[in-house]
Amino acid sequence: MPVVTEHSERMRKFKNKGKDAAALRRQRVEVNIELRKAKKDEQILKRRSISFSLMDENLSPREAKGNEIIQLSLEEILQAVNGSNRELQLQATQATRRILSRQKDPPINQIIELGIIPRLVEFLTHADNAPLQFEAAWALTNIASGTSDHTKAVVEAGAIPAFISLLSSPHMHICEQSVWALGNIAGDGPLYRDALINCNVIPPLLALVSPVTPIGFLRNITWTLSNLCRNKNPYPPLDAVKTMLPVFTCLLEHEDKDIISDSCWAVSYLTDGSNDRIQIVVDTGILPRLVELMASPELIVMTPALRAIGNVVTGTDEQTQAAIDAGVLAVLPHLLQHAKPTIQKEAAWTLSNIAAGPCRQIQQLITCGLLPPLVELLDKGDFKAQKEAVWAVANFTTGGTVEQVVELVQSGVLKPLLNLLLAKDSKTILVILDTISNLFMAAEKLGETERLCLLVEELDGLEKIEALQTHDNNMVYRAALTIIEKYFSGEENPDLQPGTGQDGLYDFSVEKQDFNF
Amino acid sequence: MELSDANLQTLTEYLKKTLDPDPAIRRPAEKFLESVEGSQNYPLLLLTLLEKSQENVIKVCASVTFKNYIKRNWRIVEDEPNKICESDRIAIKANIVPLMLSSPEQIQKQLSDAISIIGREDFPQKWPDLLTEMVNRFQSGDFHVINGVLRTAHSLFKRYRHEFKSNELWTEIKLVLDAFALPLTNLFKATIELCSTHANDASALKVLFSSLILIAKLFYSLNFQDLPEFFEDNMETWMTNFHSLLTLDNKLLQTDDEEEAGLLELLKSQICDNAALYAQKYDEEFQPYLPRFVTAIWNLLVTTGQEVKYDLLVSNAIQFLASVCERPHYKHLFEDQNTLTSICEKVIVPNMEFRAADEEAFEDNSEEYIRRDLEGSDIDTRRRAACDLVRGLCKFFEGPVTGIFSGYVNSMLQEYAKNPTVNWKHKDAAIYLVTSLASKAQTQKHGITQANELVNLTEFFVNHIQPDLKSASVNEFPVLKADGIKYIMIFRNQVPKEQLLVSIPLLINHLQAESIVVHTYAAHALERLFTMRGANNTTLITAAEMAPFVEVLLTNLFKALTLPGSSENEYIMKAIMRSFSLLQESIIPYIPSVITQLTQKLLAVSKNPSKPHFNHYMFESICLSIRITCKANPDALGSFEEALFMVFTEILQNDVQEFIPYVFQVMSLLLEMHKNEIPSSYMALFPHLLQPVLWERTGNIPPLVRLLQAYLERGANTIASAAADKIPGLLGVFQKLIASKANDHQGFYLLNSIIEHMPPESLDQYRKQIFILLFQRLQNSKTTKFIKSFLVFINLYCIKYGALALQEVFDSIQPKMFGMVLEKIIIPEIQKVSGQVEKKICAVGITKILTECPPMMDTEYTKLWTPLLQALIGLFELPEDDTIPDEEHFIDIEDTPGYQTAFSQLAFAGKKEHDPVGQMVNNPRIHLAQSLHKLSTACPGRVPSMLSTSLNAEALQYLQGYLQAASVTLL
Repeated sequence: MPVVTEHSERMRKFKNKGKDAAALRRQRVEVNIELRKAKKDEQILKRRSISFSLMDENLSPREAKGNEIIQLSLEEILQAVNGSNRELQLQATQATRRILSRQKDPPINQIIELGIIPRLVEFLTHADNAPLQFEAAWALTNIASGTSDHTKAVVEAGAIPAFISLLSSPHMHICEQSVWALGNIAGDGPLYRDALINCNVIPPLLALVSPVTPIGFLRNITWTLSNLCRNKNPYPPLDAVKTMLPVFTCLLEHEDKDIISDSCWAVSYLTDGSNDRIQIVVDTGILPRLVELMASPELIVMTPALRAIGNVVTGTDEQTQAAIDAGVLAVLPHLLQHAKPTIQKEAAWTLSNIAAGPCRQIQQLITCGLLPPLVELLDKGDFKAQKEAVWAVANFTTGGTVEQVVELVQSGVLKPLLNLLLAKDSKTILVILDTISNLFMAAEKLGETERLCLLVEELDGLEKIEALQTHDNNMVYRAALTIIEKYFSGEENPDLQPGTGQDGLYDFSVEKQDFNF
Repeated sequence: MELSDANLQTLTEYLKKTLDPDPAIRRPAEKFLESVEGSQNYPLLLLTLLEKSQENVIKVCASVTFKNYIKRNWRIVEDEPNKICESDRIAIKANIVPLMLSSPEQIQKQLSDAISIIGREDFPQKWPDLLTEMVNRFQSGDFHVINGVLRTAHSLFKRYRHEFKSNELWTEIKLVLDAFALPLTNLFKATIELCSTHANDASALKVLFSSLILIAKLFYSLNFQDLPEFFEDNMETWMTNFHSLLTLDNKLLQTDDEEEAGLLELLKSQICDNAALYAQKYDEEFQPYLPRFVTAIWNLLVTTGQEVKYDLLVSNAIQFLASVCERPHYKHLFEDQNTLTSICEKVIVPNMEFRAADEEAFEDNSEEYIRRDLEGSDIDTRRRAACDLVRGLCKFFEGPVTGIFSGYVNSMLQEYAKNPTVNWKHKDAAIYLVTSLASKAQTQKHGITQANELVNLTEFFVNHIQPDLKSASVNEFPVLKADGIKYIMIFRNQVPKEQLLVSIPLLINHLQAESIVVHTYAAHALERLFTMRGANNTTLITAAEMAPFVEVLLTNLFKALTLPGSSENEYIMKAIMRSFSLLQESIIPYIPSVITQLTQKLLAVSKNPSKPHFNHYMFESICLSIRITCKANPDALGSFEEALFMVFTEILQNDVQEFIPYVFQVMSLLLEMHKNEIPSSYMALFPHLLQPVLWERTGNIPPLVRLLQAYLERGANTIASAAADKIPGLLGVFQKLIASKANDHQGFYLLNSIIEHMPPESLDQYRKQIFILLFQRLQNSKTTKFIKSFLVFINLYCIKYGALALQEVFDSIQPKMFGMVLEKIIIPEIQKVSGQVEKKICAVGITKILTECPPMMDTEYTKLWTPLLQALIGLFELPEDDTIPDEEHFIDIEDTPGYQTAFSQLAFAGKKEHDPVGQMVNNPRIHLAQSLHKLSTACPGRVPSMLSTSLNAEALQYLQGYLQAASVTLL
């Protein structure tokens, strides 16, 4: 029936007046520059092997003798590495590896300056000398774990093909060391990541995954694979992603939390992008598992799982619905109340993107009891989380129906929201002012403007908005001014007009006046 | 201009002339400078002068001129010529920093401002060396130079505090941090060390502390957007030093000045801000330091004196505590009973005391005092901060805090009782304490809306407030009287009605108090009590209950206007208005005296209107007097006109712009009350109302339109017969209004009245022109607002003159015009019409077009019949279409009918909503059904067939509903 369609079409236009749904959903990265310390809860990009691992002692009997190895000077190392004495080569390479493995300030630069890297790469190809291969691989791993320049030195010496062929070495410890080295190279950034992918690193890596792969080894493989999914500008090629995804789907079911964690990180990288990339992940059907993992007691699992689901709901309404159907709304309340501020923040960010959806999704959010924890977070959460919670409320008031907005106000959102007008962040203040305007628009529809005015004043919001009229940020001050002029500038209506409507004579209450002197 | 001595000399002379007090000398010199400022080298000449001139005044003058020049010209605006040549720009940037640093302070400040203006445009990309150049000076050891650098840095970086996060901004901040954070930190440490080595050298300390203040401000700016890695790593250094600075005192830095904050206070105040910033935004990282800061700040409060110079520091410090104590994970810092007691005793109570400065304001600057105390512009005061801390603490500790303060209140009241004359301030503090403890939420309109249940407000009222107000002298202890009245005012919703009734005569009595604050509060309190709601939407306090006090109330209110300082007191005038409105006919006996006093007042203030609120309430009061009196006694109208017209004439003749819109409204009210033909006194004025000069002022337009509407309602026939020559002038006003996007709706108001009331034949010769005018506007600049008004108008016309007449006039302008308007305007846009009366007019008008316009049935217009019917059903059933094209947002906000910036509408001169359709049609849906029925009887078979061919199913369903409700069927 055309009348109805026209109507709903109009309603739709009305709801999103001036805003487009895509703009409401906020991707993770608004700003590429970071002032803060690199986040402690991010997955590590590169790792250095700093002490002897158990595996190492088992597999490398020479090491067991420990102190027998003589400390060599850099000069001696240079000579030995470049010499042709195999015994000395091994000793020197081992010495190199040892100094690169010391706990503090490994002299990576000095080793690079010695110019022995091409030689170490060459050692990787000495299939007849497994101990030398291993020591060289280890040393190179640690060099590649440094800065971009360090990694570059390793790559430019031709290490990529050498390490890739070592993936089929018959010696598992060499193979594992190579996986590790490749992980460091992949973690450097999109350039080397794609260089590796183009050298066909993925098939041999995936071939290493099997039910009998030892846990420690499997951890390394998972981590390296996850680095191959990591980084944007550009994203990893779609074909590569598609070959790795089924393996991650399996690994997510593993019992080891480190393996699960790194798999989750990988999925979180894959979902951190355009909607078609998100779709590929949604299509694997792993959302329910990810949601389950969001509830994990292990922080290292919960963090990337939450991150991945958070990314999914930046996608289309349908993708968001898939996350809702997977049960994300049941898990979020706990995460909003989590002791760790970064978890609160990520959870609130996720919620804010769900709140940016159509009103049926907003309704689910209400039904699943998200409002009380949201209000609580807005009131008492860490500032980073409060900021996200403000976005959630803003999106809710933009897309929600009048009834839903009423429900939000009844949950007590107003007081903490107005308190945050004191926040030391202009953007947050502006978003709150926009939200207040949205609330007033809803109130107008219900004829409750007057009541909302009183409520805002009672909660000390009015004086805060008034004070913002002198804010240094132009947009903030204009937004505040608009609200004051529109809703608070009039004297209160003389609401006690005598004999209103009795004989018509005094029936002048319909017109609302604005006193502006 | 060359960089020559001759030019320097010329410039010097002109600069000197710009300082001349005589405008005849000054102005031309300013003009000259402006005329040459586009020349190359001009800024460099100024820089040379400010550096090398022999005369200090010229140096300063050159520096100010230079800064203003930069301010006006530096920014390169797109599509406009570059106003400073590139070589000058390069030379300025190369020289200004060293020049600024080597200049004396007065000039340094100007140059520092200029640098930040340039920096805003050029930094960092186009001025890459600026930072290094500045940072290098930190090594100089010369604190005059260092402070110059710091001040410039501060003006460059302070925008980080309010700008939105963006890639560009953060890239800049990162760059600044990389170059600046470490040197700043080293400078901070070095400066603190120097402070201890120079602890006995007052002048050195002053310079060093100025640096510390600037460093602390820079810290705030650099840490505002996010917590930078560098500062997180160096938090220990910064916070430990900030903390020790908070606790530092040095006699040499104390100032004698009581008002102006000294360096030490400014520094500590900034440190409080820095700590508050970290506590709010970087809680996770700052947590280990926070308890130390709480203790330090609290100790600071305990040891800081009552002088005004500490106000900012104290209020910042208290606000810090208030924001921390509300956070659940810091609750434990305050939990201990001893801590709470000592915060209450040593921080809150002392800062609530009435100080000498307050007393001064109370007596000598009462307007300011009232504004602060009553209207809440007290955000930065100590009392307010203390009050916020009470509320913050009550979030977790309401019981204990109430308990502690009850003890204090009692002991303060006892002190007062011992010797009221000496100890009255104790009682003031007690009342303030009770108020802040009890009030949890407050609005201007209702006073306190949520109170602390642990405080017995009524008991306190009866035992401690009423006795003060009952005392024989209204002038004794004025501060306590004001406190008591304010108590009634804000707790009016908590105190039972019988206590309020007891208070009313007391308040009326205090209208006579000499103290401006006291009688103003009394008037305000009465006004507030009179606006309280009782049951059934009536007033809480009734006219009957007020009966015994009417005379004394009116007498005291008008007498209060004669007290010194209150001749234009808006609170009193508002109370007069509110009393009239409450008391209604019981004021009638006093009207003769009241109206005399009001007109005298009006005459007096019209000489120099200065208090807009006062004036507004005065006119409201006049309107109320008229309405109340004439309702009971219509004959009184003449005496009001007699009393008022004289003053009105004077106002109009003297062109008192502020009052003219009010005068028109009162006149409208008077004229609308006339039952018979318009009196000749009004007709005499009619030509003057059409004077273009009146219509040029936007504030006049709404009330004048309304007045003309009143003329048309009451005197259309008189105008047609006795002033027919003025009809073109009247329509000229309409034309003027319709031409403006802002005022076109007012033009339609006028036109609608003309169509509704003027005898048709008087308009015959103008009719076509009116429509042509409207069509032109429609064609050239249509807006949603215009279309809405246009639709209402043509339908009104249709109702008044018939559908056929409408069709004929349209088609007489241009063939097929009628069909085009139907198709392009009415059908697609009718959904936009808003307002019940407006919708009704359109419904009835369209029904007429459908059913009483033969061409709709048997010409090419017939194809529009069903779409028109469908649009009408849409108007009935669909929600209003309030979409507005994007480009119109601006107009709509500025010019929505009913929203006027320059016009102050009088509520009590209110106009009844007018429904020109009236009883003629009660239910437009039924009316449609009946009209269709009539049409179908006239041409059987036609209507059902048109319906079945193209009306959509849902609309048809609605229509069947109407037919059913009207119990008719279509043939």
